[in-house]
Amino acid sequence: MKKERILRFLEWFCPPPLYEGIEGDLLEQFEIDSKQVGEKRASKRLFLGVLKFFRPEIILRNRFTLQLINTIMMGNYFKVATRNIQKRKLYSFINAFGLSIGIAFCILIFLFIQDEKSFDQFHTNGKRIYRIEETSYNYWNPAIEEKDRYNRSAYVQVPLKQALKDELPEVEYATRFNPEGSGIVKYGNKVFTETISYADGDFFKMFSFKLLSGNADKLFENKLEVVITPVIAEKYFGTDDPIGKTLLIDDEGEKSYTVAGVIEAPPANSSIDFSILLPQENRSGYEKQLERWGNFSTPTFVQLAPNTDITKFSLNLDKVIQKFMGDKLSEWRKEGNVPENIKMLEYGYTALPDWHLNNKIEWHKVSNPQYSYILGGIAILILLIASINYISLALTTSAARRTEVGIRKVVGAVKNQLIYQFGLESIILALISMFVGVTLVILFLPAFNEYTQKGIAVTLSNGIQIVGVGVLLAFVVGALAGCYPALFLSGFRPAVVLKGRFTTKVQAGFTRPLVIMQFALSAFLIISSIIMYKQMRFITTKDLGYNQHQILIIPTQTGWQKEGNKVVEQFRTRLLQEQDILSVAGTNMSFNRGWSRYGYKINGEHKSAFVYSVDPDYISTLNMEVVMGRNFDSSILSDSNAVVVNEALVKDMKWDDPLNSYLNYREDSTSHGAKVIGVVKDYHFRSLEAKIDPLFLCMDFKHSGALTTMMVKMNSEGLPKTMEKIGKAWKEMYPDKPYDYTFLDEDVAKQYKSYERWMSIMGLSTGFAILISCLGLFGLAGINAVNRTKEIGIRKVMGAELFNIFVLLNKQYVWLALIAFVLAAPASWYSMNLWLADFEFKIAIGWQLFVGSMLVGLSIALLTVSYHAIKTAFVNPAETLKYE
Amino acid sequence: MTSNQFYSRSYICFTKYIQMAKEYLGEFEELVLTMVGILSEDAYGNAIVTEIRERIGREVNLSAVHITLYRLEDKGHVKSHMGGATKSRGGRRKRIYTITNAGLAMLRAMKDARVDLWKLIPQLKIVGI
Repeated sequence: MKKERILRFLEWFCPPPLYEGIEGDLLEQFEIDSKQVGEKRASKRLFLGVLKFFRPEIILRNRFTLQLINTIMMGNYFKVATRNIQKRKLYSFINAFGLSIGIAFCILIFLFIQDEKSFDQFHTNGKRIYRIEETSYNYWNPAIEEKDRYNRSAYVQVPLKQALKDELPEVEYATRFNPEGSGIVKYGNKVFTETISYADGDFFKMFSFKLLSGNADKLFENKLEVVITPVIAEKYFGTDDPIGKTLLIDDEGEKSYTVAGVIEAPPANSSIDFSILLPQENRSGYEKQLERWGNFSTPTFVQLAPNTDITKFSLNLDKVIQKFMGDKLSEWRKEGNVPENIKMLEYGYTALPDWHLNNKIEWHKVSNPQYSYILGGIAILILLIASINYISLALTTSAARRTEVGIRKVVGAVKNQLIYQFGLESIILALISMFVGVTLVILFLPAFNEYTQKGIAVTLSNGIQIVGVGVLLAFVVGALAGCYPALFLSGFRPAVVLKGRFTTKVQAGFTRPLVIMQFALSAFLIISSIIMYKQMRFITTKDLGYNQHQILIIPTQTGWQKEGNKVVEQFRTRLLQEQDILSVAGTNMSFNRGWSRYGYKINGEHKSAFVYSVDPDYISTLNMEVVMGRNFDSSILSDSNAVVVNEALVKDMKWDDPLNSYLNYREDSTSHGAKVIGVVKDYHFRSLEAKIDPLFLCMDFKHSGALTTMMVKMNSEGLPKTMEKIGKAWKEMYPDKPYDYTFLDEDVAKQYKSYERWMSIMGLSTGFAILISCLGLFGLAGINAVNRTKEIGIRKVMGAELFNIFVLLNKQYVWLALIAFVLAAPASWYSMNLWLADFEFKIAIGWQLFVGSMLVGLSIALLTVSYHAIKTAFVNPAETLKYE
Repeated sequence: MTSNQFYSRSYICFTKYIQMAKEYLGEFEELVLTMVGILSEDAYGNAIVTEIRERIGREVNLSAVHITLYRLEDKGHVKSHMGGATKSRGGRRKRIYTITNAGLAMLRAMKDARVDLWKLIPQLKIVGI
């Protein structure tokens, strides 16, 4: 072992006043020993001797004052740090800017993840509240693969709630909850369409939404009570006390409800959302549904008694299934020839705090926990890039600071002090960035909320957390990024530095991998964003097989009643008097407003098809192409029992002559079923994530649903005026009904809203990543150019052209960018393929795309570095060479 | 444990404390103190170790000697100062210890006490072998 190292160890633990005496004695012995037994053994003895001093009697003589930072020099460090920051304004700005964006991103993502985790955590009994979920085996559709046969959903049977309450003693409370009904609410002259949720009385006892007025124990005992949120109360009653007032609510038939309670609106991080609550008994067809154990339509929540054995509870659920559905299930099993070892139906459950991140079960506001990881990864990437910038910049500016280091060392600074100094400087810069970052967070929070559809607000408690996270990040990044340059700078040998070899170059060799790395990250993001963008553009501009533009969607506000057909007829007659309205069609469901699907058996084979009830104007309004046969005709009576099918259905049924075929979808044994009168070209009636399944259109309003929605096709000219006319006509004809409208193309685009959101987040991150890595590259190029000033001066004197110098300075960056792209391309190809797998209709990832993104990245890089290259190339050589 | 035992033990500690504070030195402390006295102006860690080895043939640890010296200094029996730099020892100065009056008095008191005790032993004559 080296003598110096042993002595350093001694120095480390030995109290300074005693050190010299002890060291001297040891060295004296060492000298004697090395003469007698040789240096090697003497070293060994020295080590043993030092070890023997490592004992409490010595160590405890240290005065334990923690001197982490040399306080005497602090003032000086601060002064020098601020001077340095001021002197190199551009570089300080680059660093602070990059870091503050990184910090801002991290804080926003921290808030996002925190919000995701905070979902539904505010219920006092949350851990005892479970959502009942069914897993049922699809026995009737032969087209499905075995592994896809299990259908999981949170929708269970209407009678289940009472059965659970009656049969299982551990169920304390139970409520059903249908969140997305809609109805027309009237009070005086105020008429609006509102979202209506249906619940049971126990709802108010289970969840911790604060009841502002009303009695939680009595609510909903009367079937004609309604509970509203303060916003609704104000909307209809203004400042009056809403309790006891009557609201007319029309959801499948108008009834008057008494306001019995006002309940606090659920916060943004609640999986349960409502604004108007009505008792479940008011749902249309409730009585009938109570008998139907085969109909899965209603989410149901239970609250279990404290200390319930959850495994026992799940066994008990099986018993409930057996008791109420045993016969039905075995009937189904026989019908579908399902082997005994497959469970036809099973109930599961998820505790309330876990709903939000359980994305296996569809639920309003459910979220994929993966998103949190992805975002966290992006945050770390950006922070990493900012740190890398700091390191490479600090290292390359070190040339200018070596004199300072040399002089400090000569005057007596030890290495540790220099490390402190440079560490401190980077932490100061990081703290400045932190303040900027927190300001950015506050500025961008509203936009961020919009992107992520969250309602995060800065409050006192999370404000402290934000600052806490910010300071923590500042210290971590400051220390991490400052650590390497500090070690590097403090390692200069004063003799070499001060001798005046100012022209030695900074060894920037190893900063290159860092630049490559961040450029690769940016390249990855560039390629991914471009692919995402292209896919989204493909989706939004793809010909869906029908015309989706200039079509206004107006609900008839008649629920599922047959009255809707009349409304369509009346309103059509009225609207066609206006010249800019081309046609009006009716349907039971517009696109992206739900769908219905028939499952039926033909020749012993299970088939299924989507169905829309329409009127004869439907096909022409949407400009669909009829490839065979004809459209419906209202003058042909038999058309009410005819269907128009799509090509996919023809293929599915393997019809050779579809126009002479019958589709017996109602399994009517007395006739052939519905006659096929036409075939339309396949069109995308669902989102492009799904393939085009068999579909038929019919005019069978009795079984497939009455018309509920009008599609008004308008002339593209004078659109606002036309819309005004339509609104006026509606108010004239149906003054007691709200006029709600949307545009068909907007409705269709909404299907991809979550992708759009993710794309914009991705775009934003890409933008920032490029910006930061460009800033880094900019700084690096600048220093490099400064490093080579003299070389360029000489070259110019020798006759180099401007262009040559330009190329000389930029060549290396082109290489860096190319290498980065080679690294990034496979990674982005892989991850984008995963992303595209969600879509049934997608773009192909071609080589052009990669080349394109590479050119984009390359030109960005060149633009960035050119500034310095041009600046250096234009410098008069006399300026740079005159000191030689 | 009975309360009796507890008391007796604390009593022992108490008496020991009195002795240590007043007129008591451990055997090794006494030895080192004596050596400091013998070496007078040239007493430092290594010299003491060598001196002990040469005079009574006993190998002692340098660290033990140092610790004892510090303890004696705490008690006021020796004082120390840094000597001049020398060529050997890697240029490090020696910490030179000198015995104080209190230390000398202590040594003398201990020697006297021992002589007194020695006198109390019945003087045995060793009969030739």
